[in-house]
Formats: sequence, C-alpha cells, structure tokens
Amino acid sequence: MIRDITIGQYYPTSSVIHQLDARVKIIVTFLFIVSLFVVNTLMGYVLVTALLGAVIKISKVPLKFMLRGLKSIMIIIIFTAIINLFLTRGEDVIWQFGFLKLTKEGIYMAIKMCVRLVLLIVGSSLLTLTTTPIQLTDGIEYILKPLKKIGVPAHEIAMMMTIALRFIPTLLDETDKIIKAQQARGADFDTGNLLQKAKSMIPILVPLFISAFRRAEELAMAMEARCYHGDEHRTRMNVMCLQKRDYTAMIFVLVYCGFTVGLRVAERYLPFLI
Amino acid sequence: MNMVKAEGLTYSYTKILETDHGTEEQTVTALKQVDIQINKGDFVAVLGHNGSGKSTFAKHINALLQPTEGTIWVENMDTKNDELLWEIRQTAGMVFQNPDNQLVATVVEEDIAFGPENMGVEPKEIRKRVDEALATVGMSEYAKHAPAKLSGGQKQRIAIAGVLAMKPKCIVLDEPTAMLDPVGRREVMETIERLNKEEGITMILITHYMDEAVRADKVYVIDDGDLVMEGTPKEIFSQVERLQAYGLDVPQVTEVTYLLRKEGIDLPEDILTTEEMVGAICQYKSTI
Amino acid sequence: MSIQINHLTHIYNPNTAFEKVALDDVNLEIKKGEFIGLIGHTGSGKSTLIQHLNGIISPTSGEILLDGENIHKDKTKLKEVRRRIGLAFQYPEYQLFEMSIYKDVAFGPTNLKWTEEEIHKSVVNALEMVGIPESMYDKSPFELSGGQKRRVAIAGVLAMNPEVLILDEPTAGLDPKGRDEILAAIKELHDKRGITVILVSHSMEDVAKLVDRIIVMHKGKAAMQGTPKEIFAHVKELEQMGLAAPQVSYVFAALKQKGYDVPTDIYTIEEAKQALYTLLKQVKV
Repeated sequence: MIRDITIGQYYPTSSVIHQLDARVKIIVTFLFIVSLFVVNTLMGYVLVTALLGAVIKISKVPLKFMLRGLKSIMIIIIFTAIINLFLTRGEDVIWQFGFLKLTKEGIYMAIKMCVRLVLLIVGSSLLTLTTTPIQLTDGIEYILKPLKKIGVPAHEIAMMMTIALRFIPTLLDETDKIIKAQQARGADFDTGNLLQKAKSMIPILVPLFISAFRRAEELAMAMEARCYHGDEHRTRMNVMCLQKRDYTAMIFVLVYCGFTVGLRVAERYLPFLI
Repeated sequence: MNMVKAEGLTYSYTKILETDHGTEEQTVTALKQVDIQINKGDFVAVLGHNGSGKSTFAKHINALLQPTEGTIWVENMDTKNDELLWEIRQTAGMVFQNPDNQLVATVVEEDIAFGPENMGVEPKEIRKRVDEALATVGMSEYAKHAPAKLSGGQKQRIAIAGVLAMKPKCIVLDEPTAMLDPVGRREVMETIERLNKEEGITMILITHYMDEAVRADKVYVIDDGDLVMEGTPKEIFSQVERLQAYGLDVPQVTEVTYLLRKEGIDLPEDILTTEEMVGAICQYKSTI
Repeated sequence: MSIQINHLTHIYNPNTAFEKVALDDVNLEIKKGEFIGLIGHTGSGKSTLIQHLNGIISPTSGEILLDGENIHKDKTKLKEVRRRIGLAFQYPEYQLFEMSIYKDVAFGPTNLKWTEEEIHKSVVNALEMVGIPESMYDKSPFELSGGQKRRVAIAGVLAMNPEVLILDEPTAGLDPKGRDEILAAIKELHDKRGITVILVSHSMEDVAKLVDRIIVMHKGKAAMQGTPKEIFAHVKELEQMGLAAPQVSYVFAALKQKGYDVPTDIYTIEEAKQALYTLLKQVKV
C-alpha cells in the first residue's frame, strides 16, 4: 500500500524529449504552465492540447502512464469543476435551486479551469517522466545559480533534493518493517476513531524519526569523510552543455509563447478575428 | 614508512547523564595514550568488542575526530592541522558500517563520482576514475542502477568504489561487514584483500569477526580505550584465554587446538585455519 | 500447541513485472517444545516464511494451522495468534519508542487489553528473562548499549507470553559478548520455560550449538530438514545453496579423505576436541 506512492517517477526510454537538456525542459515546462493562464479561448486550448499531444507522442511515453498521474488528483479536478459551476456569477441562468445557480458562464468557466488543471498536470508530469531525478536536480541547481547572489542556496537545495530522493525507498522499507514489528506486538492500526488512530501512529512515527535522524547523522559523517564541503571548488562529472536540439526546442517554445500572447492580445483588441 | 602513526593518542568527551538529582556531567575517555605505527601497504585488523574505542580510533585516521591529547599523523600530516584536512581525508578514505547510510546519490555512478567532485577533479578525469573504480570492485554492470535496489554486499562494494575514486593510499573500514549476510561478507572481504595485494592500498579493517582478522598481516586489539595487544594473527590468536577475557572469539580450530593442548597433546599453538589444523594432525600422527 | 504448514505459497506483486515467488509449496510441522534453526541465504524465503507464521502476511495459497485451526479462518482471533506466536524482527531495537524500558515492554500486553496487574506481572517476568534488572526499568531504552536494547526489544515480544518465539537473526551486528548473552537468554527460555523457539540465523556455529532440528530454505522451498548431525553431513549440498557447515566439520571431512578413521558428523568444538583426542591418543598407545 505504502509503495503505491510515486514521486518523481521516471519512464525510461529513449526519445528526443528524453535527450533534451534538463534545464531546457524545466524552463519550457515553466513557460508552458504560464501559457496555460495566458490562453483564454476555447480554440486556444484546442491548439495547446494538440501541441501537448504531439510532444507526448514524440516522448514515447504511453498516454496511459500520463493519465495515471491524473487519477490521484481527480478529486481536486472535480472539486474545482463544482466550485466553478455554481459559484461563477453569470447572467445566463440555465437552472436554479435555492442559492445554487447554474449559468452558461459557470459551465464555460468550469470547463476552462478543468482543462487548465489537466494540461498543467500532464505537462509537468511529462517533465518528470522524461527526466531522471538526478538530471532534474542538476537542472534546478544550474537554473537557480544566478540567484545565489541574492542568497538563494541553489546547491544546498539541489543536494537536499538528491538526498531526499535517495532515501525515500529506504525509509519506505523501514516504515513497512516498523509497522509489521508493531503489529506483531498486537498493535491495531485499522480500528478506532480518528483520535485513537492518530495515537496508534506514535509507535510507528517515533522509531521512524529516530531512525531518520540516526541515518542523517551517519550520512553527514560519510559525506564529510568524502571531502564534502559545500559547492566551493566542486566540479561535476556530467557537465551540462546545450546541443542543437536544445536550441531548437527553445526557439520552438519562444514561438509558441509569442503565439499564445498574440492570441490573447487578438482576443482583447481584435475579437472579430476569432 | 608509516602510513599512520599515533603518539599518546587520547580522546575524551563529556557525556551528560540524567540522574535522579538532575543532570550530571561525566568525562569518558574512549582512547587512552595509544601509540601505534601502521606500515604502508599493510593489511591491518583492529579488533575489539563494541564500545572498546576501535571506532573512535578509526575516525581519528580520517580526521573526523581530533585527539584531545597526543598526535596522530597520516602520511606525516598532523590531523590537527586544519589546512591539511582535505588532503588527509583524500589520503585515508573511510567506509562505514551501515551500507545504506553512506551512499548519497540515486544512481550508482553518480555516487562514486561524489568524492572526486568534492575534490574539484576535472569532469573527464572523474568519468575515468568512476569507470575504473567500478571495474575494480566488479560492479561495472550496475553503473546506472539505484543503490536502494542492491544487496548489502553490493552497496558496500559501491562505498569502497566511492573511496577508490578519490585515489586514496589508505582505506579505513569501520566494521564494513557487520550488517551483511555471509555472501556479502565474502564479497567485501575478497575486495579488501584484492585491493591490498593488487593496488597496494593500506587497509585498516575495524572488526570483531576473528575470521576476518586472521587474514590480516597484523592485528591490534583495543580494549576499553587501551591498545592491549599487537602482533601477527598467529601471535595474537594463540593467546586464547587473553582474547576471551577481552570479549573476543578465536577461530573454532584455534579453540579446539587450545583445548587439546590443555589435555597435553602437543600441537602447534598458532593454528588458525582448517588446512593448518589438518596439516598439524597429519604431522603429529606421522612423527609418532 | 503445534504449527502445521500445508502447501504454503507466497507470491509478491502477482501479475506484474515484479512478480516474485518467495515461497513455493512449503510443507512443515513444528511441534511443541522444539528448538528449530531456520537457515538459508538472503532471498531464500525464510523471512517471508516466519512472517506467515503469525499472520503478518497472508499466504497466496496454502494454509497455516495452529493446533489444527487455520489462523486466517477467524480474523478476530488474529491478535491472539500474534500473542501466541511471538515474532522478533531483525534489529528489533529499531522498534523501541517509549520513554522508559518498562513502558516499551508493556506495549504488547496493553494492546491485548490485559489488566494493570497482569501487565505488570508479564513485564517484570519478561525483563527478568532477558536479564534486565529492576533498577533500569525507568531508564530510557535509547540510553542502553546495543546488546541491552536488543534484549529489551525481545522482552517486548516475550511480555505477551508467547508459546512460540521466532527470532530473525537476533545476533546480527552484535559483538561476541553481546551475542553470547542473547543466545544464553534464548537457550534458557527454551530449556527452563519450555517455549518453542525458531531461530533464524546465518551463523552455522550458533545453530549447531543450540538447536534440535534444522530447516534449510532454498529458493522458496524447504530444501532439507533434520538434526544438525544429519544436515551438516551434507556439506556439499549446503555449499551449493550458498551456505556452509561449522569450521570444525571441514577438518573432519579433510581427515577422512586422507584416510583417517574419524567420524564425519562432528560440528561443535566440544565434540571435535573429544574426537581428535581419541584419534591422537590412539597412536601413542
């Protein structure tokens, strides 16, 4: 049960998208997310969806894999839809029950928000599915590097992410073991009210925290023994360098951004065109 | 030439005890006036029961701890000299007991690169060292694997490779096999012996397994912070009663020999392996 | 009390790419009062097997009968099954969580909803069995030495008054002294209190010294079972399974091969000394 949690899941296959530089992919994903809020028309979303579909196709990641990520946030999507359906103010009332009003604007808004959310999730999961955790953290470190001048600890953030990813499976195993060990001592995690259930977590959480601290202490010592002293004079085995395909992707995404902004501008000032 | 040399090495720390009358401070001396000289290229075992101070000694070699009294030199570098800290840690690498708690990265080869990266080695050179280190410990095919999926013995070999990539002259292994199964223990011991023989790296193995210590060139016994015995495995393990008093074992054959000698049977007292025992018995029979 | 295991099969992650058959049609019987050694290399299925015995994991197929009754038949009785068959995992000290030794050991009995008086009696009894004196009851378990922590953790299982005690590598990571203390305590539990013990161990020397019967697990099957004499006579088969016999038994195998008239079912130091004494004295006479 506890192993169903997937964080930073990577789908190993070779595609152009997989080969792209992680930094480029992070920036592209960021711009894509921004663009979702720039686009405002139905036609715009159709275009964005088609584009995302094409990129997924190129990435060779099965669509099934993408949609699996959506399942876990289905509740949020439905919740968003309901809120927008009934709480959007509109003139065109289709159906009314008490204070609940279903308007044409509401339906439009609900669809728009859901599409945005789905595209956002699928788009960002495409990033983690095509980029190994280590490339991802390296990419984040590089991108954040300029911010070091204003005190953002770029290297430390990336190092913490790496260590977290490294220890997630270890700690999951450990949790599993502690649960079993306490069950063998007659612990019951399934029955009782909320308070009792929360209390029954103590015999799991205390050993888990103690173990995590012990591991952290030992790891810190092992890192020191291997000459770790922050990112001063530190080199990397894998140097990130941009390839032709990375530049192509950047040009492509800039054109895409220009297009979405253009669409928004056109909608505002030249509505007769759409 | 000395790889490690200690003179009057003493380490004490303050422990806070909770008693009925509140807290109390107590000074614990984990190492007492230890004088030791470890030769370059030797395979050395340091024996002692848990809490004897053997781990504390190991951490001094890597400058993870600094002596409160006395001095320890690693290749003539005083570990109290902060300017030499990184050079000392590069010269004397360290492998720890828990294989899980010393691997940093999510991919094997990235983990091995960690040490050289910290040292600021050129990227191309790191690549070369990583590949070499992986080949040396026989783990090349696992370069892209996640450490979490490996067995205990494999993880320890990766940890050894991680140290190797720093090109050390000496590796200190702090109970590297304590958490492994017999197969893992064998893998790690074979790796240690091979690196000592083929690469000439000084190996300092901290352990409480006597069957590992018998394979060393020299054995040191630490008890309650004191260096109480030093010598070849034969010299050490023939003193069965003394070792048992320090809470240590001897190999089964050594114990049997000891018991037989007590019964007046004149077998050599320094038998450590099955072959030696069989040989000694045949010898004994043929001389009579 | 007897445990009967019939056609026990366990498959992890069935019908996925990670499918793994951990137990494959295992049939075993464990009788009251036995001292059993369970050996096998990592991945042989021994951990999966012992977790089945007290219902922590359920079989894919097959059954486990406790006194003739399937332990999964009545889910409400599972807690009682776990009381009767105590299981101490590997490195059990990592499950300690209470502020004091006493409270931690009382965790099991409290879960069983025993009365204050019953809990007190069983906790004192359990701590006595593992040799933790009363003066230490209020101490934090985290201040203890490695060997002591482990004994407290084992007491936590004993406090539920189990009829069977399963120990998964109770000596892992301990030094010779800590190991001898734990093993002596376990032996006493068996000999004096009549508790059935199943000892999972990698140390053939420890197994040889203590147990009545050995079960060898290999590739999910109970590959061999018998007395230590019977099992250690099969050195070759054991080695093929990634196991070994105690060091002294190799001495006798080698002597036999050289043509000496020695027994080959020797596996403890005491027996070896006697046999060699006889052999070496023989000549002198």
